[in-house]
Amino acid sequence: MARMNADITNSSFLGFSYPCSSAAIFAFVLFSGGQAARALDGPVTIPCMFRKVLIANRGEIAVRVMRTLREMGISTVAVYSDADRTSLHVRMADEAERLGPSPSAESYLRIDRILDAARKHGAEAIHPGYGFLSENGDFAAACEASGIVFIGPSAESIRAMGSKTSARRVAIAAGTPVVPGTDRPVTLEDARQFGRAHGYPVLLKAVAGGGGKGMRRVDREGDLEPALRDAASEAERSFRNSEVYIEKLIERPRHIEIQLIGDRRGNMVHLGERECSIQRRHQKVVEECPSPLVDAHPEMRLEMGEAAIRAARAAGYYNAGTVEFLVDRDRRFYFLEMNTRLQVEHPVTELVTGLDLVRLQVEIAAGARLPFQQEEVAWRGAAIECRIYAEDPYNDFLPYPGKLTRLTRPMGPGVRLDGCVYDGWTVPMEYDPLLAKLAVWASTRGQTIDRMIRALREYDVGGIRTNIGFFRQILEDAEFAAGRLHTGFIEEFLARRTARAAPAEFQAVAALAAALYASASAERSEAPAAGVSPWLAAGRDGLLR
Amino acid sequence: MKLHLTIDGAENHIELLARAPDCRFRFGEGAESAAHVETPEPGVYSILMDGRSYDARVEESPGGLIVAIDGYRFEIEVHDPRRRARQPARHGDGGREVVAPMPGKVIRVLIAPGDAVTAGQGLVVVEAMKMQNELKAQRDGRVQSVGAREGATVAAGELLAILE
Repeated sequence: MARMNADITNSSFLGFSYPCSSAAIFAFVLFSGGQAARALDGPVTIPCMFRKVLIANRGEIAVRVMRTLREMGISTVAVYSDADRTSLHVRMADEAERLGPSPSAESYLRIDRILDAARKHGAEAIHPGYGFLSENGDFAAACEASGIVFIGPSAESIRAMGSKTSARRVAIAAGTPVVPGTDRPVTLEDARQFGRAHGYPVLLKAVAGGGGKGMRRVDREGDLEPALRDAASEAERSFRNSEVYIEKLIERPRHIEIQLIGDRRGNMVHLGERECSIQRRHQKVVEECPSPLVDAHPEMRLEMGEAAIRAARAAGYYNAGTVEFLVDRDRRFYFLEMNTRLQVEHPVTELVTGLDLVRLQVEIAAGARLPFQQEEVAWRGAAIECRIYAEDPYNDFLPYPGKLTRLTRPMGPGVRLDGCVYDGWTVPMEYDPLLAKLAVWASTRGQTIDRMIRALREYDVGGIRTNIGFFRQILEDAEFAAGRLHTGFIEEFLARRTARAAPAEFQAVAALAAALYASASAERSEAPAAGVSPWLAAGRDGLLR
Repeated sequence: MKLHLTIDGAENHIELLARAPDCRFRFGEGAESAAHVETPEPGVYSILMDGRSYDARVEESPGGLIVAIDGYRFEIEVHDPRRRARQPARHGDGGREVVAPMPGKVIRVLIAPGDAVTAGQGLVVVEAMKMQNELKAQRDGRVQSVGAREGATVAAGELLAILE
């Protein structure tokens, strides 16, 4: 793989020509043409671009990565499990290789089979997407040992940032603020001192803990003694270890993260923030750039960006990565963790910066220099993304796999849809139920919200349940419009929302549709042979069971 | 043709006087209405009424039909007097029937016929998309029959067990 790392001056390898300027010029990155690129680079060096890349993932992210690879003229190799034989990423790829049965452990998590597939198909690099093996240091190391480029950071960086405790140590050493805490057992006197130093509320947590056992919230010093006693005895009962440590409790925090991109020569910039405070079951569902909070306090972007770069540099980081922060009500931010991969929500950053993060990832992995500097990154307008899941918002957001019987996609101005869905596809029950990411862009946040509501109204998925209608309620919410976001937003929203009354005539229209449907069904079942579409028959059978 | 309806739990009725596309109908105690109805896609009704355009999407569910119009959602059961209602009662049966809340795979069956169960006790574990959902008894009772088999794939609303 020596040739992968070699810089070839001016442009071609085995007939494949890779113009250097394409790496450097993006819509909103303020370049003054080739001169600026040269000023950054010194003599122009052009990396040797890959001819074929394997995508070690499935679903929407595999499709999204393939789209950029295709734009770059790079051949694509898909891998798949038995459940995904007819999935869009397999159909879209130039080449495809079966990994194994449907369970992830026998397919998408099999490092050996993925590397075999890469060798068999002659892929020079592997893009891991997100999830599965994307943050597995052993996988990155195994790729390199096989002479295959891992499109991401080094195995060492992944390991350093992989565990929360190790990442926290790296962040502290780099001077990036973390949530204040002791990380070691405390006595009552230690806890009192901590409370005086950092203020209340605080959280007592079992050292050996998990699942909320041995955890106590304390709001004032007077409550500390009984709470510590309770927490310690509960910890003793649950874990045979009564040790308790103390942490500052961040109330109603916002989740704001910084996108980073760096090359292998030490150049690194931040691409601004994303606010991901709208979460259910600790999973982000709505993300936006810019954050309404940061937009109102622009100095935060600079401070958080620099803090994120410090932490990443301390781990020797390169390629794309994201540093996540919690932000409290006084706008203080605390390092949470680093994701050493492309994020699900990267499209909102792409929409406001005009950059293609996957393209940058691929170029950097091929040895290219970062084609712009910090001051050349500009943010324009506002973007919001909704994660469309196969789940039932009327039944506790439980997953709802099944066959799609109808699909109308939103289109029109400012709409971007990253998905893996087609009419007639059966959403497998083995994997994450993300169907698509609907992202929209407009010049102001208010217009972006209006545009998202419009796009959600156009979006129709039949046969399975989705959260499309639920997003519309959130986007129409006054608190959301005002940008008053925090990670408990959805819980509070569910408690306070009132069912919108439908306009009076809607009920008559719905009744008419139901009556027509039922009478048509009745006619079909009386003359079963004639023109019953299979899905209607299947649906009816389900009803009769 | 007159049909009895249950719309979001409330009884109502509709009388179809002329068929699509030039539909005439009387809903509840209202006056006779006219609507132009086309079906551009299966389950989708484009309805023009009083100069307004509606797209109504109809889907079958274990409890009846779900009709969605511009984000508003109606649960409608249609009872044709000429035919016996076929939907087994899934609601208001006091928790006798244990049904799958989502499509998925039965991971564990924790009960056998004849077992005594208490309210809140886990009965069956169904898994879909990496989420496990333990179905619990809604009341005390004895297990009459168990339809769920470990490893079996089930549809939403499918009967898994019956309590006495």
